[in-house]
Amino acid sequence: MRLRAWLWLALSSVAAGTLAAGTRPHYGGMLTVDLSATFSTLEPSELPPILANLIGETLVRINSRGEFEPCLAIAWQREAESRRWRISLRSNVTFHDGEPLNAVTVAPVLLAALKKEHSEVSIVPGGTTLVIQSDNPLPDLLTELAGARTAIVRKSENSPLIGTGPFRVTGWEPGRRLTLAAFDDYWGGRPFLDSAVINLGSTRTSADVFDVPFGSLRRILPETTRIWQSAPGELLALVAADIPPLAVQALALAIDRDPIVNVLAQRRGEPAFGLLPQWLSGYEFLFRAPPDLARARQLVSQVKLNPVALGYAGNDSFARALAERIALNARDAGITVQPTPNNSGSLRLVHWPLESADAAADLVSLARSLGLPERAKAVDASKPETLYEAEKALLDSNRVVPLAHLPQLYALTPRVHFREPARGNALTLHLEDLWVDP
Amino acid sequence: MSFRSKVFLSITVTVIIAVWVVAAVVSALVTNSFERRETQRTAALVAEFQREFDRRGQDVARRIDAIANSDTVQRMAVNLSGPQPDASRYVDEAAALAREQSLNFLELVSPDGHIISSAEWPARFGYEEHWLLGPVDWNAQGVFLKREELADGAALGLVTARGVKAGERTLYVAGGSQLDQQFFDSLPAAEGMRVQLYRNFESRPASALAAALVHDLQQQPRQLTRTSPDASISAIPLLGRDKQLLAILLVESSRAELASLKRTIQATAWSVGAAGILLGLILSFWTASRLTRPVRALAGSVRQVAAGDWNTRAAVESRDEIGQLARDFNHMTEQLSEQRDRMIQAERVAAWRELARRLAHELKNPLFPLQITVENLQRSRQVSPEQFDEVFRESTGTLLAELDNLKTIIGRFSDFAKMPAPHLEPVNLNDAARDVVKLFDAQIHAPERPPIEVRLEIEQDLASVAADPEQIRRALRNLVLNALDAMPKGGTLTIRTHNVNGAGGNRVAIEVSDTGEGLTPEECERLFTPYYTTKQHGTGLGLAIVQSVVSDHHGTISVHSQPGHGTTFRIELNR
Repeated sequence: MRLRAWLWLALSSVAAGTLAAGTRPHYGGMLTVDLSATFSTLEPSELPPILANLIGETLVRINSRGEFEPCLAIAWQREAESRRWRISLRSNVTFHDGEPLNAVTVAPVLLAALKKEHSEVSIVPGGTTLVIQSDNPLPDLLTELAGARTAIVRKSENSPLIGTGPFRVTGWEPGRRLTLAAFDDYWGGRPFLDSAVINLGSTRTSADVFDVPFGSLRRILPETTRIWQSAPGELLALVAADIPPLAVQALALAIDRDPIVNVLAQRRGEPAFGLLPQWLSGYEFLFRAPPDLARARQLVSQVKLNPVALGYAGNDSFARALAERIALNARDAGITVQPTPNNSGSLRLVHWPLESADAAADLVSLARSLGLPERAKAVDASKPETLYEAEKALLDSNRVVPLAHLPQLYALTPRVHFREPARGNALTLHLEDLWVDP
Repeated sequence: MSFRSKVFLSITVTVIIAVWVVAAVVSALVTNSFERRETQRTAALVAEFQREFDRRGQDVARRIDAIANSDTVQRMAVNLSGPQPDASRYVDEAAALAREQSLNFLELVSPDGHIISSAEWPARFGYEEHWLLGPVDWNAQGVFLKREELADGAALGLVTARGVKAGERTLYVAGGSQLDQQFFDSLPAAEGMRVQLYRNFESRPASALAAALVHDLQQQPRQLTRTSPDASISAIPLLGRDKQLLAILLVESSRAELASLKRTIQATAWSVGAAGILLGLILSFWTASRLTRPVRALAGSVRQVAAGDWNTRAAVESRDEIGQLARDFNHMTEQLSEQRDRMIQAERVAAWRELARRLAHELKNPLFPLQITVENLQRSRQVSPEQFDEVFRESTGTLLAELDNLKTIIGRFSDFAKMPAPHLEPVNLNDAARDVVKLFDAQIHAPERPPIEVRLEIEQDLASVAADPEQIRRALRNLVLNALDAMPKGGTLTIRTHNVNGAGGNRVAIEVSDTGEGLTPEECERLFTPYYTTKQHGTGLGLAIVQSVVSDHHGTISVHSQPGHGTTFRIELNR
């Protein structure tokens, strides 16, 4: 009886160990990733978020709480009213080709990136320290340094992109396939995966990881597939041009956002009434208003309105369904909206992914995208009320009607694992945090 | 209008009326026949439509039943009957199921009446479809017509609905096929027929006839037919479940065939009419020439008789009315000729008698004094020879005077008997008038005679006439003498001349008027008869001589008189 008990205990331990091995990170293996989007250049600013920090890294980055945290830079100090910044670089960092990262190797890359926005800027390298000098104050320099545009990367004859990230490029077929291999000398520690093959423009469901566009959300997925969902960091909105402001207001009142999120987005996302999501701004609930068809019709009756063309991306079935739903809601308010799959028109359906968890930076970026940068000029990240005022000013411009904040969705096969939650409010899936079953 | 024209007109009118009547009758018969045929064809088409409607309805019902009984819908019904049902994941189901069953419309509706999924308008998820929630056993319902809202407008559908129960809750499946023009195009319409579907939510048809029909049916749905020269349209209302007018079936029959037939009839009528008119023309010529030849010959004979040829006879060529007329005409001319001869004879005898009477009367007047004078001479020689010389002297004077008187009388008769032929030369009647007035001047202004005023109203530019001046003066003298005799108590003698331009040619007129007692119409009629006189002393030859002179000059003489208002003689001579 005792022997049997011990035997039972031993078998149970082995079984538990085996089961636990599936959830415990381990090294090795190749991951296939299929992305529906495609790109033909490896410029960091052109890469999709899932690949953004895999190859090249920035000096600083913004965490999910919207705070700046060290990356290739470990410390920074602003002087002379933000006209001078002293950046201390991380030591023991090497590029994929073995060249060490230091002030001399970083300075020309960074200077070329900064010069595009600030022509008067200069950089003085000194060992592991960079001194960035400018005639004008650079209060948002950290935001810029966290952007993919200022990623520290190089190119060589042997490699289209050389960075310091956890993966190095081993193969690149523009527009088709990107092959990555783990960078053993990564300063943050070697990633779990040995390699990853990124297939571009592919909508297969047989890959280890594949993105799930909202248009494909309702398609039949393998039963064992899990969906990884980012924080709702993509603004889905209507951008109006040459439409009377009253008509835009009427449209905003007529659109019922809940069915859009609940049905079209299959409950993945949040109805949007502000430009920034509630989790990011904290005040988005102040903009919320239920649909009011009576008021919308009243507004419409005050303007003479011709049929409005609503442009959307023709190859996006989600966008088409969304455009048709908006046209239906608009019709209830007395506005004739004609969806047109050519992405042009007086109304346009746009997706704006948030660049980071930095609300101020995102708002400035949105204002720039709307062609209204002056309305976000007074934004001060340390003063939330300035964000609210700026966002309200942008909404009052009647140029944009927020519809929903949508997350990024990735389908993962059972052999793919990740730490959950790897990063709270993550805006994208980080391949360096994944491992696969052998 | 000539006889020929009358015959032609009669034949033409007869032909035209006959052709018109025939054409109208034929046209009416053809129209009736055509319309009867169209009515039958329309009825057949409507019956076919009804059959096809029922057939498709059954097909729709079968397909909806299949969907309602499918595993997908049954599973959905079960899932949605749970405590917290999530309908959002079924948003695309309707499209897939509709595709599978080849239906145009399909909606899956939640138990609370909200659309879960719509095949025809996917964006309508969440919208209400309360018509399904009524107290209706949908599983026992047939197919009906329904207006379906689509993103790009409305459509008509043959739809039905089914309820799928899961527990206490019911999932509704409603759908069907679109009733579109393609449906009607599949109907076996006869040639010249067109089937149109007017949906009662679109603008009225462009055709005025169809638009009027639609308007009438919108006021009161019922089957109506209207006709225009080009087409005939029958309108059949198509009602929905609640008897509301949803559409109108317009069966249009072209009347082009009828119009063509009518045109043919019309053209034939015109051709026949034209041929009839031509035939009428020929017939009228032939008939007229055949009928009018004897008539014209008769008319020629009449004209000859009128011209004085009393021996003319009409040819009798037939035994019909015209021949009888010719015979009667010949008989009449014979009778007239005989009567004329007798009249001439009688007039001649009468004239001789009158002449004898006049001659006796004229001669008797001077002979009686001669006899008395001679008897006085005889008695004076026997009774008182001493006074015989004185008596002889006085008696011989009387005898000579009376003998002169006899010579004058005889001279007058002689003059009338031997009127010479006129020697024509240009004569100015003004001069002739002045000469005659001058000749009678002494007589007019004689102391014992009552006063007579003489007026000469002459036209200065009077044209000359070709005449014998002596005979003209003689005629004027007679007229002036007559006028003076007509005014024994005095008066006014007027001689008037003027040019006459008229239809009878250019002539010159001279008038002699008096203010005497005037003449009665009877007297005027007999005035120019030889030896007729209204005077106590006169031969009755004066005006006869005037008429003779005027006649010899190819002129005319007329008299205008009224009792108490004087008399005017008017002579017109050619220039």
